[in-house]
Amino acid sequence: MTGTQTGAPKAGAAADIAAIEADFASLGYICNADIATSIFLSQRLEKPVLVEGPPGVGKTELAKATAQMLGKPLIRLQCYAGLDESKALYEWKYGKQLLYTQVLKEKLGDLMEGTKGLKESMTRLHEFDDTFFSEEFLEPRPLLKALWSQEGAVLLIDEIDKSDDEFEAFLLELLSDYQISVPELGTIRAKHTPIVFLTSNNTREIGDALKRRCLHLYIPFPDSELEQRIIATRVPEVQANLRAELVAFVQGLRKLELKKQPAVSETIDWARTLVLLHARELDAELVRRTLNVLLKFQEDIDNVDSDVNALVAQSREASARLVG
Amino acid sequence: MSEVLADFIRALRSADVRISTSESIDAGRALALVGYDDRTTLRAALSHALAKSQDDKEAFGETFDRFFAFDQFTQNPPSQDPSAEESDSGNEGKKGESGGMPGSGSGGLNGERAGDGAPQDLAGLLASGDQAALQMALAEAARQVNLNRIRLFTQRGMYTRRMMEIMGLDVLNDRIEGAERDGETVKVERMREARDGLREQVRDYVEKQLELFTKNTGRQLREEVLSQVRLSNVDRSDMRFLRIVVRKMAKRLVALHSRRKTVTRRGMLDVRRTIRANTGFDGLLFHTIWKKSKVDRPKVIAVCDVSGSVAQVSQFLLMFLYSVQEVLPEVRSFAFSGQLGEVTDIFKKRDLEKAMVETLREFGGSSTDYGRAFRDLEALAINDLDHSTTVLILGDARSNNGNPRADILKKIHARVKQVIWLNPEGKSLWNTGDSEMRALSPYCDRTVSCSTIKGLERVVSDLLRSAS
Repeated sequence: MTGTQTGAPKAGAAADIAAIEADFASLGYICNADIATSIFLSQRLEKPVLVEGPPGVGKTELAKATAQMLGKPLIRLQCYAGLDESKALYEWKYGKQLLYTQVLKEKLGDLMEGTKGLKESMTRLHEFDDTFFSEEFLEPRPLLKALWSQEGAVLLIDEIDKSDDEFEAFLLELLSDYQISVPELGTIRAKHTPIVFLTSNNTREIGDALKRRCLHLYIPFPDSELEQRIIATRVPEVQANLRAELVAFVQGLRKLELKKQPAVSETIDWARTLVLLHARELDAELVRRTLNVLLKFQEDIDNVDSDVNALVAQSREASARLVG
Repeated sequence: MSEVLADFIRALRSADVRISTSESIDAGRALALVGYDDRTTLRAALSHALAKSQDDKEAFGETFDRFFAFDQFTQNPPSQDPSAEESDSGNEGKKGESGGMPGSGSGGLNGERAGDGAPQDLAGLLASGDQAALQMALAEAARQVNLNRIRLFTQRGMYTRRMMEIMGLDVLNDRIEGAERDGETVKVERMREARDGLREQVRDYVEKQLELFTKNTGRQLREEVLSQVRLSNVDRSDMRFLRIVVRKMAKRLVALHSRRKTVTRRGMLDVRRTIRANTGFDGLLFHTIWKKSKVDRPKVIAVCDVSGSVAQVSQFLLMFLYSVQEVLPEVRSFAFSGQLGEVTDIFKKRDLEKAMVETLREFGGSSTDYGRAFRDLEALAINDLDHSTTVLILGDARSNNGNPRADILKKIHARVKQVIWLNPEGKSLWNTGDSEMRALSPYCDRTVSCSTIKGLERVVSDLLRSAS
C-alpha cells in the first residue's frame, strides 16, 4: 500500500472515464461521470459493482450496456427467494448419468471379465470411479458459466435483495476470489475474471460482508438535463419543446408524495405514448388521460389529479425557459 | 496508504460511516488509479469504494467537501522535491485561500522551507509573503504535532502554540526583540502584525481540523445519554433528535433479526416432497429434501396509554414498532385514555409525528380508565387474539380508582402467547396510590419497568428474538 501515490500520469484515468461515457452514449445508454467512473474502477480493480437505486433507473440496463460495450456475453442470474446453488451454480445431469448407467449395466459383465473375487472387482470399478462425476455430466448454471467463459463475461446477479441470506453468503467466495468450490470437483477458478454486477432495489438491507466486497454505486433518479438526454436518445421522435415539458412534468411529479414514483423507464413509456397520440405540447386533459402510464397506483393517480394543472403550467414555464 | 487518505477515512469514520480495512485498501487502489487531479472523479471513485449505502453517501459527500476544501497543501506531503513546491504555488494561485496575511504574490525563498522540521526563518517567510511556503510549513507543523489526533476543543490553544513553535516562533520573537533594541519601529510593527496574522491562521486551521475529526463525537455522546434518560424528563427540543436515535436503533434491530427465517430440522427427510422431486429420475433419490419449518413472525398487539406523561413513552414505543415493520409486519395498535380505539391505520399511512398528534387528539386527554379500555379491547380484537399473538400493554396502571377489570386481562392472557406489561414508572412506585399493578400483573407473563429508549429497545429486541 505504499505505492498508491505514484507519480504516474493520472490524466489517463479521466480520459478513460470520458471514453466509457462516450461509448455508453453511442450504445444508447446515457449516463453521468459517476456511473462511468464505477465501470472504470470495476474493470481496473477487478471488483464487483453493487448497483442500488429505485426501480426503473436503468440498473439492469447498465450491465447490458457494459456487456455490449465490451463485446462480451451477458450472463444473467435472476434472484428470488429459494434460489439455491443447484440453480445458480451447477447441477449434475442426473438423467444422463442414469441413462449411461443403464447402458453400462449390460457391459458390466465384459468389464468385470477376468477379475477374481470381490476385491479385484472393486479395484477395477474404481478405475471408472470419477467418470460419472466429471465435467461431462456437469450442467453449468449462470455462475459457473461465467467462470468458465473463455473470452470473459459480464455477470449480472439481478435483484440480489430478493434472494435468501444463505445465498448471499454463498456468493461471497465468488465475489472476492472469483472462484467457487464444488465438492466433487474441487475449486473452480475463473478463466477470465468476469465483470460482475449485482443489483438491488433495497427491499432489504444487504449484508455488510457482501457490501465490503463490492464497489457501491447508487443511481438516483436522473436530473432534468440528464433525463432530457435520455429521452432524446431513446425516443428521438419527440420534439424538443415537448421533451422539455414532459421531463419537467415528471420531475415535478417526483417531488410529490407518491406510493411509487415514476422512474426513467416510465418517462420513456410516456414519451412514446405522447408521440403515438401526436401530441405537440402538454395540456391538462392529455396528461389526465395518459397519467396511468406514469403512475401505477390508482391511489396515486387520484392524489395527483388535483395537482395536474399546476404541474402542467410549471413544466410549460420550465420548457419555455429552456427552449426560449 | 497515503496519509491524506488515512486522515480522510478517519474523518469519515467520525461522521458515522463504517469503513473496514479492506475497503480502505480498495480506496487506496482506486486513488492510485484516478489520482488527485480531477476532483469529481476522485469524489466518485472514493465514494464507490467507501460509502456503501445511501446514508453513507450523504455523509461522505459532506465530509469530502469539507476535507478537501482546504487541502491544497496536504496533498503534497512535506519534504518533497522542488517541483512539488512549484505545483503548490500554482494551486495556491488558483484557489487563493489567504487567511488575512499581509502582502501576497508568490515570492522566491525556496531554500529555507520545510522538511527537516528544524525551526526555520519564519520572519523571512512572513516578510516575503510566500503563501505556498507558509502553507507547507503549516502542514508540516500540523503533521509533527499530530494535529489529526486532536479530540477536545480545549486542546486548540495547545496545538496552536505547539505548531507556532515548530514553525519557528522563538526565532521570530528573538528577531522582533532584536529589532526593537535597534529601534526599528516600523519593522517591529510589521513583524508583530505578521506574527499575529499567522497565529490567527494557525488557530483557524486547528479549528477546522478539530471540527473535521470530531464532528460527531459530541453527537454520539448525546445519543448515548439521551437513550438512557427517562423519557418523561427529556426536553422537547431533544425530541426530534430522539426520533433519529429510535430510527437508528430500529434499523439495527431489523438488520439483526431479518435473518432467521426458517429453522431446518436436520435429519428429518421430507418423504413426500423428496419423492415428488425425484419422479424425473425414475424414483431414484438423487435429490433429498429435508424437513424445515418456517418461523412465524410474531403478531403484536400494542395497547398504549396516551394520557399525560405516559404518552411520551407510548409515542416512542409505537415509533419503534412501526420502524421495525420489515420484521414485524403484523402490528395492531390501540390507544386509550378513557375510550380505546384502533390507531393502526393512522400509523401506517401518516408519518409518525403527525400520526401521534392525531392519536393524541382523538384518544388523549380524558382520565384514564383501564376497565373501559380492556372492555373496548375485548370488543374490538378478541377474535384476533391467538396463540401467536403477543400483547404489549404500555401504561402506568393508574386507573383513577376505577375497576381495572383484571378478569378481561385474564381472558386475554389465556388466549395469547404472552402478555407483556411495560410500566414507565419505577418498580418502587407500583401499587402505590391508585396503581393497579398488583391486580393486573398475575395475568402478565412479564412486567417491565421501562422508561428509556434503551429499555424500549430491549423490549422490542426480545420480542423479535422470541419469534419462534
